[in-house]
Amino acid sequence: MIKNIKELIKYRELLTAFIIREVKVRYKETILGAFWAVIQPLSLMIVFTVIFSLFLKIETDGVPYPLFAYSALLPWTFFTTSLSFGSIGLVNNSSLITKVYFPRETIPFSSIGAAFLDFLIAGLIFIVLMVYYKVPITFNLLFLIPIIAALIIFTSAVVLFTSALIVIWRDIKFVVPLVTQLWIFATPVIYPVSKVPEKFRVIYTLDPIVPIISSFRSTVLGGRPSLVDLVTATIMSCVLFVFAYWFFKSKEKTFADII
Amino acid sequence: MNKVTVDFKKVSKSYFIGRHKYGRLSETLSSVTSKLLGKNTPIVQTKFWALKNTSFAVKEGETLGIIGKNGSGKSTILKLISRITYPNKGEINVRGRVGAFIELGAGLHPDLSGRENIYLYGAILGMKRDEIDLKFREIVDFAEIHKFLDIPIKRYSSGMYSRLGFSVCAFCDPEILLVDEVLAVGDVNFQTKCLTKMQSFAKSDKTVVFVSHDLKAIKKICNRVILLDHGKIVNDGKPNRVIADYLANYAQKSLE
Repeated sequence: MIKNIKELIKYRELLTAFIIREVKVRYKETILGAFWAVIQPLSLMIVFTVIFSLFLKIETDGVPYPLFAYSALLPWTFFTTSLSFGSIGLVNNSSLITKVYFPRETIPFSSIGAAFLDFLIAGLIFIVLMVYYKVPITFNLLFLIPIIAALIIFTSAVVLFTSALIVIWRDIKFVVPLVTQLWIFATPVIYPVSKVPEKFRVIYTLDPIVPIISSFRSTVLGGRPSLVDLVTATIMSCVLFVFAYWFFKSKEKTFADII
Repeated sequence: MNKVTVDFKKVSKSYFIGRHKYGRLSETLSSVTSKLLGKNTPIVQTKFWALKNTSFAVKEGETLGIIGKNGSGKSTILKLISRITYPNKGEINVRGRVGAFIELGAGLHPDLSGRENIYLYGAILGMKRDEIDLKFREIVDFAEIHKFLDIPIKRYSSGMYSRLGFSVCAFCDPEILLVDEVLAVGDVNFQTKCLTKMQSFAKSDKTVVFVSHDLKAIKKICNRVILLDHGKIVNDGKPNRVIADYLANYAQKSLE
C-alpha cells in the first residue's frame, strides 16, 4: 500500500495531466462549456422544489426548499459524476492500458479530480443562494474541510472498486447508473433524515454517504455537523477506501489482458 | 563489464482465448453455483501460451532485435518489459526508465492538440512538466509537426501520429527504448531518422529492443538478434547468423 502510494506520488504530474485532459475533453466542442457543471444540480434543484415543496409540501425543518435541496445536491452530484465517468474510465482508456505502463488508478482518480472542479463551479451558485437567503457565514464552515475530505475518500473507494469490477464484468456498466438512480432515494437529498422512521435509522446511516451529506448540509446552512456522524463517516470511508484500493491493485496486473 | 538492464528468468505468459477472454458475469456465476452444488463441470478455458519458459538478458549498449513469425511472442516480450502485462510464471527484472513505442497512437488523445499531446504523453511516460519544457523544441523538430502543433491530432495523418509518438518516446530519455513494428507508417526519410536515433541510443550505453519484420533494418542497427518461434527462443546471436537461420528454416514454413 505504501509502495503504491509512493509510486502514485511519483506520477502526480500524470494525474494532473489526466485531470486537465478530462476537463478539456469533456467540455471541448460544447457551447455552454463548464456551465454544464452547474446545470446538472440546478435543474434537479428546480424540479425537486416544484415536486417536493410545491406539490408534496415536504417538511424541511424550516429551511427554504431550494437551499435545502441544493446543499445536498452539491455533494451528491460530485459523487454521481465521479462515479459515472470514473467507473467506465478504465474501459474507455483501454487503448492506453494495453499500450503504456502507468499506475492505473490515475485514471479513476482523474475523473474524481475533474468532478471536483465541477463541484467547485457548482458551489459558486450555492454562494449566490446563501447570500439571497441570508444564511449566516461563520467559522463553522471550517467543518467543511473534514467533511469534503470524507466525501472524496468515500467517492474514491466506490469509484476504484466499480472501475476494476467493470473491467472484469462488463455487466456492472449497466448496474452503476441504475444503482445511482435508486441510491438518491436512500440518501437525505430530497427529504431530511428526521423523516426516516426511528427503527430504520441505524441501517439508514450505515451508508457513509448519508452522514456525509447531512453533515455537509447542516454545515453550509450555518449550523454544526454532528460529530458522531462525521467521525463514523470518516472511519467507514477510510476502511472502504483501503479495501477498494487493495482490490484495485490486486486486479490491476490483469487489466491489460482482459480489458 | 556492462550492466544487465533487462533480465528474463524462465518467463511464461499465457492468454485466455475464446470463452473467458471477457469474463462474463453469467459464466462466473454459473461456475460458482455449480461449485456450490458440488457438481464438477469445468468451463472449458482455452489457454494460449504466448511465451514458454523464456530466459534471456540484455545489457547496456546492446541493441537487441527480435524476429519471428506473427504470433511467436515478440510483442508479448515488449509488453512484459514495459510492465503493461505481467508473467504467469518466472521473474522479470528491469533496471531503468522504459520508453515504449509499442503501438501506433498509444497514449495520444485524438481530441487534444499536438502540443497538449506532447505534454500528456510525456507525463504518461513519467516525465515532469519542466523536463518536457526543455525537450519540447527537439520533439517538435524531430517529429516535423511545427505547422500542426495547435490542431487536434484527429486531423493528423497516420504518419504524423507515428512521428509524434516516436519523438516523445525517444526524447523522454529512457534508459531502455522499446520499439515495435510501428515505424512502418512513416516515410523512408523518417524511418531512417528513427533508426539513426536508435543507433545513437545504443552508443550512449543505453538498451534498445527492436521488434520488426524489416530484416534490413534489424541488420542495420542491431548487434544481437533473438529468433522466436511459438513462444520459445530458438536462436540467439549475431544478426547475420540468426537472420539466415530464420530465412532458411522458419520464414519458409509459413509460405508453404
